[in-house]
Amino acid sequence: MDKTARKLLAIATLLLFQFPVFNILNAQGILGGHVTGNVQFDGQFSRRDTTIGSSDVPEKLLSNARADILYTNGNFSAGLRYEAYLAPMLGFNSQYTGQGIANYFVSYKTQTFAVTAGHFYEQFGNGMTLRAYEDRYLGLDNAIRGINVSYRPWNGVTFKGLVGQQRYYWDTRGLVRGLDAEVSLNDVVTSWAESKTRLTLGGSFVSKYEGDETILSDISGYKLNLPHNVGAASVRMDLSHGGFGLQAEYARKGQDPNIMNNYIYKNGDALWLSASYSQKGLSANLQAKRVDNMGFKSVRSVSGEMLYINYTPAITKQHTYAFLSMYPYATQSTGEMGLQADFMYKFKKETALGGKYGTDIHLNASLITGLDTTVIGGKGTDGYTSTFFGTGDTYYGDVSLEVAKKLSSKLKLTATYGYMLFNPVIEGHEGDIHHNHILVADLTWKINRKNVLRFEAEWMGSDSKYDAAVDDKRCGDWIMGLVEYNFTSAWFVSVSDQYAYNDGIGNYYNISVGYTKNATRLQLGYGKQREGIICIGGVCRQVPASNGLTFSLTTSF
Amino acid sequence: MNKSRTLKSIFAILAVSLSLASCDKIEQDNYIVFSGAAGEWFDGNGVSDHSQRAIIEKYTGVRCVNCPNADIAINDAVAGYGDKLIAVAIHDSSVFTRPIGQTPCLSTPDGDAWSHFFGVYAAGQYPTAIINRTLNGNAWDLFTPTSGINSRVDNIIGQTAQVALDVDAHNNNSTVDITVNLEFLQSVGSDLTLTLLLIEDGLVVTQRQPDGSDDENYVHNHVLRDVITDVWGADIECTGNSGEKRIAQFQYTPTSSDWKLSNCHIIAFVADKATKQILNAAQSEIE
Repeated sequence: MDKTARKLLAIATLLLFQFPVFNILNAQGILGGHVTGNVQFDGQFSRRDTTIGSSDVPEKLLSNARADILYTNGNFSAGLRYEAYLAPMLGFNSQYTGQGIANYFVSYKTQTFAVTAGHFYEQFGNGMTLRAYEDRYLGLDNAIRGINVSYRPWNGVTFKGLVGQQRYYWDTRGLVRGLDAEVSLNDVVTSWAESKTRLTLGGSFVSKYEGDETILSDISGYKLNLPHNVGAASVRMDLSHGGFGLQAEYARKGQDPNIMNNYIYKNGDALWLSASYSQKGLSANLQAKRVDNMGFKSVRSVSGEMLYINYTPAITKQHTYAFLSMYPYATQSTGEMGLQADFMYKFKKETALGGKYGTDIHLNASLITGLDTTVIGGKGTDGYTSTFFGTGDTYYGDVSLEVAKKLSSKLKLTATYGYMLFNPVIEGHEGDIHHNHILVADLTWKINRKNVLRFEAEWMGSDSKYDAAVDDKRCGDWIMGLVEYNFTSAWFVSVSDQYAYNDGIGNYYNISVGYTKNATRLQLGYGKQREGIICIGGVCRQVPASNGLTFSLTTSF
Repeated sequence: MNKSRTLKSIFAILAVSLSLASCDKIEQDNYIVFSGAAGEWFDGNGVSDHSQRAIIEKYTGVRCVNCPNADIAINDAVAGYGDKLIAVAIHDSSVFTRPIGQTPCLSTPDGDAWSHFFGVYAAGQYPTAIINRTLNGNAWDLFTPTSGINSRVDNIIGQTAQVALDVDAHNNNSTVDITVNLEFLQSVGSDLTLTLLLIEDGLVVTQRQPDGSDDENYVHNHVLRDVITDVWGADIECTGNSGEKRIAQFQYTPTSSDWKLSNCHIIAFVADKATKQILNAAQSEIE
């Protein structure tokens, strides 16, 4: 966004909200509309600690801040987001450094028609051809700036179309065009209207345009003849009958030599399947996927997580406990196969296993492997061939059983056992596969209506050993304890420590205090953060070690 | 319109849209093309013609009403100076280059890169030209090429060439074999680059005229189609000592089947790698 546009938008915003801003923002009925918003400020001090590998921060204070403001008036809405990274917190790309209006849009929406001009987020199907989204904790924003239109000519039929450029930190890059159509046959075919079987079909097509550039091949004196328009298409279905469900999506991508696939010309494809069954107290889900060369970015030469046009759904469990999530799985868009089974059951009250209050169990297992490939060349070739059902190296495996039981009216225990295997190659380095056993006990004591005490104990036994040459500080055997006290319904304080007691290094203690009132939350923490990787939905970012103070303020109005 | 007809219409629109935005397909034997940037240099036999030539790069566009007048002036100058003046017509990405109707777009990414570098695009005035990428004071000597060509050309070709240059091109089964010979007539201390261009003549593409009308039969000559080397040229391996003779051979496969090789010729120019200023230029038909 250039300076002139920024100024115009700022002036328009002030006029719209009629200065002074804060008195008005809380008011309803501005120009007949409503203003809502939220503000988040995260700050960090970090200092050098050679034992965990953290460094001094030249700026002393690092901060990520943002304010979203949304104005709605009937069918019309407009919004903007101001972001400030001064300087970005550890783990966030330094290209975010700066401040300004990072997102702005106007939108008009009726029951049958919607149009958005400016920045927007969108997803076609499961996102295998297009998913423009934002995750502030990953430092990821693939918003598209352009025009997004959707049209529902009849109930059950939706068409979407978009064109725009993707956000790249404080710039926009590439050119993305997309179309999507979805038909709910039960709404369109009159005789199916009352059917217990529900079927929705959809399809999408997305293409990107890039100009030419010189990328030399491995053969001296030759360069790549690059495709300027690269397309990806998918078909999908969603079938359900009572408690049964079956979803499937298949996507293909044309020749797309890029930095992720080492500039090979092989077509890409991906298949995702999900079968599920649910009834009261029970749910089961089985997922499978195969991804082959489906990394799709709006700029072929950009690595990292920015500028992805598409997204491959993750089929590993998103763990929350510290040791279970210490080795998260990063989706390998260049090629992987995976299976996941998930089962939840509630033993009813007053049964042998349910006891007085019932018992919940949650069993999850996933296995991800590489593809069975045969290399036929490097840059400027088709790269490799792969067999559809063949598997390659094991990348990741995970089995966890979680049992949650209310022991009394005031005590609830959640016990978890997990087994995990992790191949470091998915993080880009060689090494032996890590095999980890994890135990977690989580006890919540509801002392009274306003006071809750929570204890958490974790243990992880691993066959990995810390090696200074590799410097993976997650290796070894670990124990952890956490005590968290919530009092007066507004305050909480927690103390935790993770300690590598065998074959590892590190002692990571943390203390944090928080206060919540209405829609405002303030949190202050002090401690050490181990370097590692965090992943959300298979999309990851590196987190460097830190040692110091963190604080966070969020509020909405 | 009933429901099924509307549905069919929407699907038809979607199908057409999809086909328009469909992806490019590169054939397997065409995944890599000659880059031109790695031509190997050897000791050569020298250059018989020691002429100092000038090359005029004209930034133009099919919607630029004054550009036909510049074409007349440049064509007159080329006719007058013979092989001492070489012309290139560059269509960048300005609004003036947008095709009129369904006519082909003559813009090139390389020409656009030059336009941005030399400030033509930013200035937004078309036609604009520059001869041998020379400076006027501290700024590029950009000018409107409806006049002022001859004085600039005279100033350049009146000097003794530092480097004599000769280029030869042959069509070898749709691959162009290019041979470039250099001879240093004076010592040159700076690093030099060689840039090779594919130029097409006789393109009939609609051009807006000074009176605002559109001439569907306008013939465009000297049109830059491709920069065979890197956009800023390939390094010349040489000592730069007076009397040194170097030769390099290149093979080039045009990247578009829309270009008629029978209407094309090759331009070569030697430039100072740091200052971008052109020392000498030559051109050859593709025989």
